[in-house]
Amino acid sequence: MVRFKNRWILVEFIPITQGTAQLGKSTVGSANSIDGKAIWSALKQSVLNNFGDTGWGAVGLSLTVKYFSPTTNICIIRVARDQHNIAWGALTLLTSIDGTRYLPNVVHVSGTIRHAQLAAIAHNREVIARYRALAENPAAYQDSYNTFLESTEREIEALQD
Amino acid sequence: MFFDLNIPIKKSPARLNTSKKSKLPETTTTWTTAEIADIERRVDVLVHLGYTVLAFSQTVNKKIDPKTHVNFLDNLISQLRTRSGIVYLKRLNIILDQDSEKGFGLVNASVSLFNAYDLIALVPTTHNTFSSACLTHSLPSQLTAHIISLPLTLPRLPYHMKHTLIRTAIKNGAVFEINYVGALGGENDSMLVEADAAENGPNAKRNWWASSRELVRVTKGRSIVVSGGIVNEADLRAPRDVANLISMLGLAQDAAHDASSKTPKSLIIRAKTRQTHRAVLSEPAVVFPANSDLAESSNPIEKLDMEDVVTADSPQPQKRQREDSGPSKKKKRKQNREDTQLVA
Repeated sequence: MVRFKNRWILVEFIPITQGTAQLGKSTVGSANSIDGKAIWSALKQSVLNNFGDTGWGAVGLSLTVKYFSPTTNICIIRVARDQHNIAWGALTLLTSIDGTRYLPNVVHVSGTIRHAQLAAIAHNREVIARYRALAENPAAYQDSYNTFLESTEREIEALQD
Repeated sequence: MFFDLNIPIKKSPARLNTSKKSKLPETTTTWTTAEIADIERRVDVLVHLGYTVLAFSQTVNKKIDPKTHVNFLDNLISQLRTRSGIVYLKRLNIILDQDSEKGFGLVNASVSLFNAYDLIALVPTTHNTFSSACLTHSLPSQLTAHIISLPLTLPRLPYHMKHTLIRTAIKNGAVFEINYVGALGGENDSMLVEADAAENGPNAKRNWWASSRELVRVTKGRSIVVSGGIVNEADLRAPRDVANLISMLGLAQDAAHDASSKTPKSLIIRAKTRQTHRAVLSEPAVVFPANSDLAESSNPIEKLDMEDVVTADSPQPQKRQREDSGPSKKKKRKQNREDTQLVA
């Protein structure tokens, strides 16, 4: 009974502009918009640079970017369990995607998609809470974040293995 | 609890005192608001990534001159915003090379200067300084340098890492430090680069992987501390990411995780013992026989005289309560309860 086991890595990419990290969530569509494909190719380059062709051979077939949200910069990546260290290491050594510098911050690593989804939803909530605290609006202020939270929650729940 | 024990702070020398009459050394340094804002931003990112204990480090080349040395970290910490749950520490890095083989100022005479720092680290670049760092400077005393930080990005490690030296150092309580800035090929502290103790650029990465692997092999994975040494904010990484990187050096996963949590924690407590005599930490408890008159008294028990050098600025973490120079209320209550139990 040889089941194919995976690791689901939840990463947050923090954009770096002019040498400083932008920690607050920015809804304004900045010039540097990346998507899942760009992340995948940047990760591939990182594996090739740091771990060579053998590293890519170990990881490449099973590496997929399952979800990416440009607004919160959250990415869910699926790797095979046996070599997830290589992929995780390459992710840490990643410095830029498509020319702009990013800081990869791995939030959660889990063996099932369910926990990765839960972690992503919890992380989104945290980010929204942080943004709301920064905005310092009065308590009764209705902002559009609730709808945003709901829509992203639906997107994340819709992920399939 | 995650530790980043090497946040290099560079302070350009302030305007020189041009008045020829005054001969007093400059004892305070002024921090501009821009520099403070810079450092605050760095601390923000570190806290966001999950670090709770941060040590700012000041680097000195070759030797310490007590007359001209300025400790600019004291000022800095008092000006930083206090964040709940975050601890700031002060650390001194001394780069040792051939000129410092004779002596570099770590003498008993200037103990007061070193007491202002919570951690002392040495960066040896020659074989002689390496052996003296491992053998003499790791012995428990007022001047122990608990951290030995090897220059891992140099093309050829200037000395062979002898297993006996390293074993003695570890037995005495020193730890070896790995700065993960080398793995990313990021920029090292400029003072290290000038002193030929570090390299920037693509070769630095290759040298780092080779030398760190060797270090892990010789120390067998124990007594290793991982810290930043990062100059650019963009090179910072979360603690679990760093632990994964270190586990790729041949270190087991739990040992890699220990290197950024448990080992630095015991290191900091051990470094506090510089303030004690020969690293003795326990309070001798005097137990009076139950029937004597002396058991009636509930005075606090006489202890070793320990100076409490922790400045008022840095918030004390819970683990330091043991070294307080006066028994806390909890201890007094406990002692009273024990005394009365003996009597009863």
